[in-house]
Amino acid sequence: MAQPVGDGLTASDAGIDDPLRDRGDGERHADRGVAVVLLVVALAALARPVLEHLFDRPAIAQWATIFVAIAVQAMPFLVLGVSVSAAIAAFVPAGFLPRMLPSSPVLAVPVAAAAGAALPGCECGSVPIAGRLIARGAPPAAALAFLLSAPAINPVVLVSTAVAFPGKPEVVGARLLASLLAAIVVGLLWSRFGRDHLLDPGRRRMHEHEGPHLRVFMLTAQHDLLSAGGFLIIGAGTAATLQTVVPRSVLDSVAGTDLVAVLALGLLAVLMAICSEADAFVAASLTQFSLTARLTFMVVGPMVDVKLIALQAGTFGRSFAVRFAPMTLLVAIVSSVAVGWWLL
Amino acid sequence: MTAAGSTILLLIGTVLLRLTVSGTYRRYVRVGMGPWLAVAGVTVVVLGIVTLIYVLRRPDAPADHPVHAAPEDVDEIDDRVHPDRIMIGWLLLAPIAALLLVAPPTLGSFGVSRSAAVNVHAGGAVFDPLPHGTGPVPMTLLEYGQRSFDRHGSSLAGATVELTGFISRLDNGGFQLARYQIACCAADAVPAIVIVEGVAGHPPRRDAWVKVTGAYVRGTGALPRFSATSVLEIPVPNEPYE
Repeated sequence: MAQPVGDGLTASDAGIDDPLRDRGDGERHADRGVAVVLLVVALAALARPVLEHLFDRPAIAQWATIFVAIAVQAMPFLVLGVSVSAAIAAFVPAGFLPRMLPSSPVLAVPVAAAAGAALPGCECGSVPIAGRLIARGAPPAAALAFLLSAPAINPVVLVSTAVAFPGKPEVVGARLLASLLAAIVVGLLWSRFGRDHLLDPGRRRMHEHEGPHLRVFMLTAQHDLLSAGGFLIIGAGTAATLQTVVPRSVLDSVAGTDLVAVLALGLLAVLMAICSEADAFVAASLTQFSLTARLTFMVVGPMVDVKLIALQAGTFGRSFAVRFAPMTLLVAIVSSVAVGWWLL
Repeated sequence: MTAAGSTILLLIGTVLLRLTVSGTYRRYVRVGMGPWLAVAGVTVVVLGIVTLIYVLRRPDAPADHPVHAAPEDVDEIDDRVHPDRIMIGWLLLAPIAALLLVAPPTLGSFGVSRSAAVNVHAGGAVFDPLPHGTGPVPMTLLEYGQRSFDRHGSSLAGATVELTGFISRLDNGGFQLARYQIACCAADAVPAIVIVEGVAGHPPRRDAWVKVTGAYVRGTGALPRFSATSVLEIPVPNEPYE
């Protein structure tokens, strides 16, 4: 049981997160945690009249609705992503993934990016999966390419794009191409210039439990769901705040000019943090903008947004996220402009 | 926080299931998400129960405990320095608390003027005329808008139409009727707006849900217009979004 697995991670890495560690003063500790949960719920119950009163204010009600909506909407996808991640931890032997991928990053990155097409779902699910792939020894550049491509090019997202832009199949093609291109470029850039040690905090966070497969699956899923879920809440709160505070009509003033419009919609995608399965419908409604600007919205959204930055900071570490998000944003915008100029 | 973590998961799962069973989830996400929320809720409840059993079960052998070689134990120190990763799961209690106590309401008029209205001119669909003399035809605001801009509303000619939405603005002699379209969740909501005129008497207050019956009138502006013969105040519908 005490043997290190994978890249030297043992249950001791889990700190107070792991029941194996809780044994000494474990019982007391567990009781305290549960007591705090109950206390929070009880306090919230006492605060109920205050809450009801707050919801009488339209801005606060709108904020709360959008906040809860993003959290509720993301849960099924997060549960799917966490289950896949936990299944990899529990059932895929360490060392298997590195053997599966071509050893040269020039080949591994495109293969991983294309593999993203196989994961139906939106961006919340792919973060824990990519984190797990790295913890299991997959080349970081390849895992990052997968992280970026999976929410953008899977069949569900492409079909919803086709539905949102009826009679314009070129939009679907442009989205697929621009997203794939951006994911591959970011992956290759990372393999050339990236510093894998930036991912070390993330590797430690992705600690590996030990024991029977089912136990590993359950404990990993619990840990991932709690940490990813917590960061999702930060992202949902940020997105709800921005949506409530910044009126969308501000956008109309910049719709005319080409490059400004592209940058504005790229920024909007970051701020709104819409699920990648829904962003095509929002893009379709932004008719005052050029198709290239709307393509940028759909390419940037699944790769960089406030919710994702929070999730990535939580999964891979903050110093990684502050470098990765701006680089990805830049590559995604350039890739959209290039593909948009060619296809649209 | 494993025991506490399991409790939080149990709460999340329970809240998801409660949202699904009570139908309240329709305020936040589109109706088709219901089954997926139920599956997610059951999964999270099972996860919470099983991990709670793992924690509460007495340890079988202390030898299982990993030996701590002090110099190698940097990771643990790292965790102490970054307590956020342990504490972050607590944030999940925020939406749970909100949902358990007072579920936030459906989106209302606040956001209507602040977001771009849905574009009813896009697509350019051509509609068949509505049947005559069969009573009012219920219709979404989106379809009404699209029909009224398709060949100047000729498919609506002579028909009685019934629209359902909430009042987003009170005007002289009428109001703006709005209803949100959502693709995924309330975060991507875009309102469809119809200008309702010819309202006799005092119109209900802003944010009231109403069912209006009437007919098409030709307008010149960017928003479709509607002439009401009756306005009935109703409770918030089961499916608040189109």
